[in-house]
Amino acid sequence: MWYHKPVINEGLLQSLPNLKIVATSGVGIDHLDLKLLSSYGVKVSNTPFAVSTDTADFGMALMLASSRRLVEGYQMAVSPNTEYFPADYLGAEVSGATLGIVGMGTIGYKVAERAKAFEMKILYHNRNQRNKEEESAVGAIYCKKIDDLLQQSDFVLLSVSLTPQTHKLIGKRELELMKPTATLINISRGLVVDQDALVEALQNKLIKAAALDVTHPEPLPRDHPLLKMKNVIITPHIGSATKKTRHLMRENMTESIEAGLRSLPIPNEVL
Amino acid sequence: MFRFMQKKCDLSEFGGRFTLLFTAWRKHAQQTAAVLPSRSLIPVLRANSRGSPLADNPSLRGLCSGTLKANLQVMAGEELPGVLILDVGGTHGVLENLAVLLKKHFRVITLKEFHENKEEMRKKIQSIFIFECRPTIDRELLQSLPNLKVIGNSGVGVDHLDLKMISNFGVKVTNTPHAVADSTADIGMALMLASARRLVEGCQIAVSPDTKYFAVNWLGVEVTKATLGIIGMGNIGYKVAQRARAFNMRILYRNRNRRRKEEEEAVGAHYCEKMEDLLQQSDFVMLVVNLTPETHKLIGKKELGLMKPTATLINISRGAVIDQDALVEALQNKVIRAAALDVTYPEPLPRDHPLLKLNNIIITPHIGTATVQAIRMMAEEAIANILAVLNGQPIPSEVFPK
Repeated sequence: MWYHKPVINEGLLQSLPNLKIVATSGVGIDHLDLKLLSSYGVKVSNTPFAVSTDTADFGMALMLASSRRLVEGYQMAVSPNTEYFPADYLGAEVSGATLGIVGMGTIGYKVAERAKAFEMKILYHNRNQRNKEEESAVGAIYCKKIDDLLQQSDFVLLSVSLTPQTHKLIGKRELELMKPTATLINISRGLVVDQDALVEALQNKLIKAAALDVTHPEPLPRDHPLLKMKNVIITPHIGSATKKTRHLMRENMTESIEAGLRSLPIPNEVL
Repeated sequence: MFRFMQKKCDLSEFGGRFTLLFTAWRKHAQQTAAVLPSRSLIPVLRANSRGSPLADNPSLRGLCSGTLKANLQVMAGEELPGVLILDVGGTHGVLENLAVLLKKHFRVITLKEFHENKEEMRKKIQSIFIFECRPTIDRELLQSLPNLKVIGNSGVGVDHLDLKMISNFGVKVTNTPHAVADSTADIGMALMLASARRLVEGCQIAVSPDTKYFAVNWLGVEVTKATLGIIGMGNIGYKVAQRARAFNMRILYRNRNRRRKEEEEAVGAHYCEKMEDLLQQSDFVMLVVNLTPETHKLIGKKELGLMKPTATLINISRGAVIDQDALVEALQNKVIRAAALDVTYPEPLPRDHPLLKLNNIIITPHIGTATVQAIRMMAEEAIANILAVLNGQPIPSEVFPK
C-alpha cells in the first residue's frame, strides 16, 4: 500500500481469498480498518522507523521557517515590487524558546534531540512518561496535563498517531490555552486538529501562527481559509519525502511481505 | 538612591550568586529604567567568570557605571553624551524601541538634526550608533566631529566601514559578536532544512489554485547523516556545528586557524587542510566567514565545480563572498543542486537579476538577526561597547584594522 492506496474495503477483501498481508508505507495506520482486516485473517505491517528521522527533521524545518518568516521573506526577496528590505521585518527566536512536544514516540523524541541543540526548553506530553535517562538525555520535562504544556510553550509540535483518542486533540479549548505568541506545528495527521477551530484561532489572533505538513483533507479545497493566511505555512505532506527514506520504506515493506507470505514472524507487524 | 545604586554596582561582592543578583539587578534596573544586560550578555558574563563573573565583565560594568553616570549627569544638570544615528523609524532608521533604549544613555542626534544645526551639534557627538549599515561613515563626516570617540556597530560584520580611515581619526570601532550568534546560526539551519526539503516549493504547491492532488514521487534530500562543510568556524559557525550535530551530520570545517581538539570533539568536526577536500565531500556547504579582501569571491567557478552535483550552497555571511555570476551559471547548468542565500550583493538584488528567476534557489531578505530578541540584544551590546569607550573601561568587542 503506497500513500494509502488502494483503498481496502470489505468488497476488496472478499474478492481476494489468498490475501495474507497488507504492507502499508509510512507509520500511520489510521486509514486502515484493523478490525476488518483481522476478521479476514489478513496481517498488517507498516514502516515506523524509516520515516522517523526525516519527519523529525521536517518538524524542525517547519518550526524554523515559521518563526523566522522564511516563506514570506522569500516572497519579499523575489517580488518585483521590492525596493528595499525593511528593518522592522522581524521574526521570533527559536534558540532558547520553549518547545512543547505532544506525542513523544520515536519521531517526537528525535525532534527533542534536535531541539536540545538549539538550547530550547523542552516540555512533552505522552500517553506514558518516558524513563529518567531518556528524559535527561534531551532535557525534556513531562507534563501530565496537556494544559500545562500548552500554557508554557512558544512552539507546540504535534507528533501523535491518529487514534480515536487523538482525534481533534487540539480544539478551541486547547488553542485558547496556548500563548497568543505561540506557533502550532503539525506533523502528525490533519484530524488531530479541529481545523475550523484553528482557522478561528488564527483569525482572532489567539495564537500567532501555524505550520502544517498535514491537513484534512489533503489537499485542502482551493477556497479553504487556511490557504490565504499569511501566518500559516502549509506543505504537501512531505515529512518523509526523501529518496533514501522512500527506498528504506520499500525495503521494509518487502521484508514484511516476504515474511508474511512464508508465515514467518513479520517485522513491523501492526497488532 | 545614589547609595542604593552604588551598592548594586559594587560588582566585586557578587561572586557566584549570579542568578540571584541578576534578578535583583533587573528589578532595580526596571525601577530606574536602565538598560538591562540581556540573555546574550549573560553567557558572556558566565563565560568570563572566574569566581566573580560580574567583577570581571567589562560590558556589565560599562552598563552599570554608565547608567549610574548617566543618572548622576542628569541629576547634576549635565547633558548625556551625544550619539549620532541616521534617523528614528522610516525606511532605514533605528527602530522606535531601540531609540528609546539609546535615549536612556545618550543625547540622541539624528543626521538631519546634525545637518540643520552643525555648529551646536558637532561638539556634542561623541559616538555614532550604526544600524543596518547606516549612517554612512565617510571622511567628511569624521572631519566634522571633533569629539567623536567611538563608532558602535549594531551587528558583527564591519565590511561597510573603512577601518583604517576611521582609525586614522583616532576613533574606535566596536561590533556585537555575541548578540548575533544564535539567531544567525538558526537561520543557517533554517535555510539548509528549507532547501533540502524543498519547503518553499512545497508551500507553493500546497496553496496553488491549480493543485488537485499531491504528487507521491515529489522528493527532497536528507539532512540527517548528511555531510555539512562549514567555511568559517567562528562564533556563528561553531553554533551551526552544535546544531548540526544533533541531526547526526558529519561536520567538516575550514577556518583561518584550526580550533582546539576539545572544541572539535565537542561537535564532531573534522578540520580540512585543503578547501578542495571540504568542497568535494560536502552535501551542504555553509559560508560563515566575515567579508575581508581574503574572502571576497571565495566561492567562484572553480569552487562550485569542485562541489558535488547533489550539493547545496548556503550563504549567511556576505553576498560578496560568492562570485554571483559564477553561481548563476552553476545553478543553471546544475553544477550544484541548489543554493540558499540570506545575503546577496547588492541587497536587494535588481529585480531582473537571473538569481530571482531560478527555481532551485531560496533567497531571504538578510534576516539572519531579524528577531525581536536579537535586534534588542544587538543594540544593548552596542550601547555597552560605546559606554565602555566613553568611560575609559575595557572594551568588550573592539574591531581593529588589519
